[in-house]
Amino acid sequence: MSKIVLVGSPNSGKSLLFNRLTGLQQKVANFPGITVDVASGKLAHAPDLELVDYPGTYSLQPISGEEQVAVAQFTASLDDPNVSQVLCVIDVTRLEKSLYFTLQVIRECARHGKPVIVIGNMIDVLHRHAIEFDTAGLAVALGAPLLPISARSGEGLDTLLETVRENAGRQDNSIDGNQWSDTPDVLLRGTAHQLARQFGPRGDILVRTQSRLDSFFLHTGTGGLIFFSIMFLLFQSIFTWSAPVMDAIEAGLGALSNWVVPALPHQIMRDFTADAIFSGIGAFLVFVPQIFVLTVIIGILEDSGYMARAALICHRPLRIFGLTGKSFIPMLSGVACAIPGIYAARSIDSPRKRLLTYLAIPLMPCSARLPVYTLLIAAFIPNTTALGGLIGLQGLAMFLTYFFGLFCGLLVTGLVSRMSEDRFTDVPFVLEMPPYRMPSWKPLLRNAWNRSKHFVTKAGAIILAVTVVIWILGYFPNYGASLGDSWLGTFGHIVEPLFAPLGLDWRYGVAIMTSFLAREVFVGTLGTMFGIEGAEENMVPLVDSIQVSGLSIASGVALLVFFAIALMCVSTMAILSRESRSNVLALKLFAAYGIAAYILAVLTYQLVSLLAS
Amino acid sequence: MTQSLWALRAGESARITGYDNALAESYRIRLMELGFHVNEEVTCVQSPSLGAPKVFRVSNTVFSLDDEVASHILVEPSA
Repeated sequence: MSKIVLVGSPNSGKSLLFNRLTGLQQKVANFPGITVDVASGKLAHAPDLELVDYPGTYSLQPISGEEQVAVAQFTASLDDPNVSQVLCVIDVTRLEKSLYFTLQVIRECARHGKPVIVIGNMIDVLHRHAIEFDTAGLAVALGAPLLPISARSGEGLDTLLETVRENAGRQDNSIDGNQWSDTPDVLLRGTAHQLARQFGPRGDILVRTQSRLDSFFLHTGTGGLIFFSIMFLLFQSIFTWSAPVMDAIEAGLGALSNWVVPALPHQIMRDFTADAIFSGIGAFLVFVPQIFVLTVIIGILEDSGYMARAALICHRPLRIFGLTGKSFIPMLSGVACAIPGIYAARSIDSPRKRLLTYLAIPLMPCSARLPVYTLLIAAFIPNTTALGGLIGLQGLAMFLTYFFGLFCGLLVTGLVSRMSEDRFTDVPFVLEMPPYRMPSWKPLLRNAWNRSKHFVTKAGAIILAVTVVIWILGYFPNYGASLGDSWLGTFGHIVEPLFAPLGLDWRYGVAIMTSFLAREVFVGTLGTMFGIEGAEENMVPLVDSIQVSGLSIASGVALLVFFAIALMCVSTMAILSRESRSNVLALKLFAAYGIAAYILAVLTYQLVSLLAS
Repeated sequence: MTQSLWALRAGESARITGYDNALAESYRIRLMELGFHVNEEVTCVQSPSLGAPKVFRVSNTVFSLDDEVASHILVEPSA
């Protein structure tokens, strides 16, 4: 099949054009080693032609390692005999930032004998402002055909398709743009600058609306208010709006399980299907609504142009901790759940800042920690109030525990960013402020669907496998009769000395180990260990049992500290491995946060014991 | 009178005269790719409070630069 490579600088409307040309049939893949998506799809009106959408870049002269990979992949595609032509999208309203890249692309295509079509997008904006554009003149100057189009209105797309088809069927090897094949980058840069001046729209008429809106959205008062409102909505969307769908998924799986399981012939098979398979599938499906909703909302923020403004607003405070303004939304998402947070970190263009954000996200006080905190605080912190009923001790403890997680996250990134100066994987904070636009819904929903599918196919298997292994360890050799006598229980007895410095017995050890599936499993397991059914729904009997068992407040606070830091979440590890393209990072973080959590918990136990005595 | 781009206030324009040596070569090239050429006119469109990155217009494109970059770009304010 004949392939067409689609390139362009960021914010040139390349993705919208790609969606226009390919319709619904597209698939998303990654380049080896980097997170950037590469979408490909058949042309809607010429299914024998495949369009490949390369990551947007400002030049073929990379700064970061990630840009290097993208550029190398583009260059490699020019040697691919299946690639029949290259389409280079430019934004005709902002020629300056597009033309240098375009000249580089024309030069590389000439060197490799591939025809190139320059696509002048957003011609409708110039028409609307009655600005003349010398298409033919610029085409002659570039030495390549230039087609004016509007990906938004559809103008010029028919001509584009026709030209693409002609090119694909072309037999001769006459290639345009040969005049650049020996021109070095520095001269291309000068030429681009000169052409932009000659052919680009003059004056500031095109950015006036944008500047007016910016003075509202970036204003200290109104801008701050809008920022907090949008972030509040975003947080609500993951925390609250996704909840009914998550409950429905759990209920649906529960009903399916109740229907399937009794029909199975053997007790072991029934237990395995109910507790390993259905729990395992539920464990990852439950994240899908959050991922879907957050991807849609982030897509709206990106497409509307607000994302760049939000990054600007929170850049300064986050820079203190080695992060960028773009780290804010991933970290805020992480307060609801680390999984969508890690996905959201894709929008951070600096690989170094993205890595630092990955370090912080698992420390954000996610919602899975909430049941654990609730249980421990109810069991150990007295339900009394201070300052005439204004401040409840339990509420204060919850606040401090949440704050502790946030603090640890920023502390880690602050320390790591100062310990390792590395400019080679960093890119400067130079952020294009795109014009405000209305988002297009269809691509947003499709992107969210692709992201959800990615999660289910890539992380689902790992989560299911770990669930099955832990189930086997907890079920055998006594066929689920008692968790305490299982392999897991035996192992808990063996490692009991490890939990002794926290004042905890083996039952807590087993509960901590099972909480690797998801932190909230701690509550259910502990309930099982104390012989209480349904502790997840009603914690009161379990709270009573813990209090009766004589566990000290020092142990309780130590457990809070442990859960605030430890990376007890197989789903986070699975998706972190996938997104960072490194199993080592997830394992290193698991070990580092595990050890740090343990040491700090032991210190906390000793300190609180000392104070309480 | 030469000053840094970062010193511009909202509404002020200036002509780029050069870059200081503290700016990494790769960053300098990236800035030129985006349109921050010597002799180009730059306008500070927004200067948000609390030290947030400032917003600059160069040709018809708007970029946000923080002081780590903008303080290394040398400009001469337009009258």
